[in-house]
Amino acid sequence: MSHSAIIEISELTKKFRNATEPSVKGISFSIERNEVFGLLGPNGAGKTTTISILCGLFPPTSGTVKIDGKYLHEDLASIRPIIGIVPQDIALYPTLTARENLDFYGHMYGLKGKELRSRIDEWLEKLGLTTAANRPVAGYSGGMKRRVNLIAGVLHRPRILFLDEPTVGVDVQSRNVIIEHLQELNKEGTTIIYTSHHMEEAENFCTHVSIIDHGRILTEGSPASLIAAHPGCNNLETVFLHLTNRKLRD
Amino acid sequence: MISKLLATIRKEIWLLLRDRVGLSILFLMPMILIFVMTMIQDAAFKTLNEKGIPVVFVNQDRDSLGSMIEYGLRNNDLCTFYDSIDGQPATLESARKAIADGKFLIGIVVPAGATAAIRENVTALIAETIDNSGDTTHTDPSKVAVIDSVEISILIDPVTKKSFITSITSNLREFISEVKTKIMFETFSKEIAEIIPDNNGKGPRNAFQRTQIIRYNEEYASRTSDTVVPNAVQHNVPAWTIFAMFFIAIPLCGSIMKEKSEGSAFRLHTMPTSYLLLTQGKLIVYVMVCLIQFMLMLSVGLYFLPMLGLPKLVLGHSMAGIAVLTIATSLAATGYGVLVGTLASTEQQGAIMGSLSILLLSALGGIWVPTYVMPEAMRQISVFSPLNWSLDGYYQLFLRQGGLSDILIYSLKLFLFFVITLGCATAINKWKRRI
Repeated sequence: MSHSAIIEISELTKKFRNATEPSVKGISFSIERNEVFGLLGPNGAGKTTTISILCGLFPPTSGTVKIDGKYLHEDLASIRPIIGIVPQDIALYPTLTARENLDFYGHMYGLKGKELRSRIDEWLEKLGLTTAANRPVAGYSGGMKRRVNLIAGVLHRPRILFLDEPTVGVDVQSRNVIIEHLQELNKEGTTIIYTSHHMEEAENFCTHVSIIDHGRILTEGSPASLIAAHPGCNNLETVFLHLTNRKLRD
Repeated sequence: MISKLLATIRKEIWLLLRDRVGLSILFLMPMILIFVMTMIQDAAFKTLNEKGIPVVFVNQDRDSLGSMIEYGLRNNDLCTFYDSIDGQPATLESARKAIADGKFLIGIVVPAGATAAIRENVTALIAETIDNSGDTTHTDPSKVAVIDSVEISILIDPVTKKSFITSITSNLREFISEVKTKIMFETFSKEIAEIIPDNNGKGPRNAFQRTQIIRYNEEYASRTSDTVVPNAVQHNVPAWTIFAMFFIAIPLCGSIMKEKSEGSAFRLHTMPTSYLLLTQGKLIVYVMVCLIQFMLMLSVGLYFLPMLGLPKLVLGHSMAGIAVLTIATSLAATGYGVLVGTLASTEQQGAIMGSLSILLLSALGGIWVPTYVMPEAMRQISVFSPLNWSLDGYYQLFLRQGGLSDILIYSLKLFLFFVITLGCATAINKWKRRI
C-alpha cells in the first residue's frame, strides 16, 4: 500500500443477511490523496455496497478499511467529519427550501452561524440556485435537486467525497456545472470517489479507474492506461464492455 | 452538540409547519373526538339520570297501588310517563306491541284487583293472628279469600342493553315494593284502629314513615371536602386526551419513515451526528405537539363543552401533578412512536402497526370501557398498558382530588416505558443497520 493513500481497502467482503452470495468478494485497492477515483461497473456489480461500507453505513463481513490512516469501523466518529457523500437518490427534505435543507445538513456537519450562511450562499451562487433558494425543493427540476444534493455533501469541505452517480438523470447543462465544480473541489484538495454508468464522463473526469463486476475488481489504472492495455478498445466504454461483456444485467 | 440539537428541532418544526393539513388534523381531530365521545356518553348518562326513558304505564288496578305507582312515575326524574298509545288508553296488548316496536323502553302493567289483593292479604293475616289469640269478635278468617301474590308485569324492549335494564328495573322494583309496603301498612293501621281504637278515635299516624328506619346516603369518597361528581366530561376528557396523545405515534412514525424513504436517513447515517441526537430533536418537537394537544383538549373540557350544556371539567388541585403526568405521558407516547417508526419498514406498515397497536393498548387501558367491567384476565393484562397508567393518574388528579405524590408511580412507569421504548428503538436501529 502507498504511503500517500488516503483510503486502503484490504480483502473487503460483504454478504448481506439472507443473501445467497456476497455482493463484494474480497476486493483490495487503495486510493491516493487528491485522486478522482472512478469505481465503475454494471448494475449489481458491488459499487454502491463498496461505497456504503466506505461511508460507514454498515460494516463489512470481513476485510479492513483504513481511511486517513485509521481503521474505519474502529474510529468511525473521527472519520465521519472528513467525509462527504452525494448519494445516487436525492436525499433532501422535499417540503423544505434549499436553504433550509442546507442549513440543517450544514449544522449536522458541525457548521454554524455566519460561516455556514456564507458557505450556503457561496454554493447556491456557484450552482445557480440563489433565486430558487427559498422555494421548497419539491418544486425543483431534477437538475436543480441534483445540484442541491451535491451542495449538501460538500458544504463542510470534506477531504474525501463519495459520489454515487451524481449526474444521473440531469441535463447536459447541469451535468457540466456539477462536473466543473467537482473538479474545482478536487483541485482544492478533496479526494473524490465516484461511481457512474456514464463512461465518457468517467474517462474525462477520473484520474484512476477500477472496473468492478460480480463483486470483484476486474482491472484498475488510469483511463488512458486501461484503454492502451486493451487492444481494439479506443475508449473507456469499449474497455468496460470488453471486460464486463454485453449481457443484460438485473 | 446544542447547535446540532437546535438545528434538528428547527428542522422538525419546519417540516410540521409545512404540512398544514396534517398539523390541523393533529390538533383538530382529537378535539372533535372529545366533543363527539363526550356528547355521546353524556347522552347515555342522561338517559339514566334525567327524564328520558319512555315508560308506558297500564293501570288496570284503578286503586291505591296503581295510582301511587302512576304518581311516582309521573313525578320521577328517571322517566317520561305515558299511559296512552296513539291517543288510546294503553292496554296490556297495545303496550306489549308498542314496546316490541321500539316506541317505549319499558312498560309496567298493574293488574286489576292488585290493591284489593294486598289489602285482603293483610286483613287475612290480622284475622288469622287474632283468631289464634282467641279473640273471635272480629273478622271470620274463613270468610277472607287469601291471594298468594300479585303479578305486576314489567315489559322490556328486547334491544335494550341488559346492564341498563337491570339498573332501571331494580329501581322500579324498589319503588313498587315501597308502594306495596305503604298500602300494607295503611291497611294494617286501619284494621288495628278498628280493633283497638285510640283515645282520639283515630288510627296510628305516620305508620309508614316510621317504617323507613334505614335510609341511604350516597356520596363519592374524596380526600378533600369539595367532591367532584363523576360525569361524562370528567371521565371522557382525560381518557380521549390520552388516546389522542398516543396517536402522536403515527405522525412521528410517519416522519421517521419519510426520512427513510426520501433518503435523508441515509445521508444522516453518514454524518458525524448520533442517532440519539437526531431522535432527541424529533422527541422534543413531538412532545411539544403532545403538550399543545393536551392544552387544547383540556380547553374543550373547560370552555367548549360547558357551552353545549355539559358539565365543566374540574382539574383538581395539583397543577404540578398534571404537568408531571402530562410530560410523562407525552414522553411515553413519543417514545412509542419512535419504536414503531424504527420497527416498520414502510410508511403503510408503520401507520397500520401504530394505529392498531394504539387501539389495542387503549382498549386494554380502559379508554373505551372501564377496566373494572373487564373480565379478570383482561384486567390483569390492562395493567401493562401505558394508557392505563396515564388514565389512572389523571383519575387520581381529576376525580380523587389527588396530588403530585399520588401520580408519581404512574409518571415513573410512563417514564420507564419511554426509556425502554427508546432503548429498544436504538438497539433495533443498530441491528437493522448490520445488514
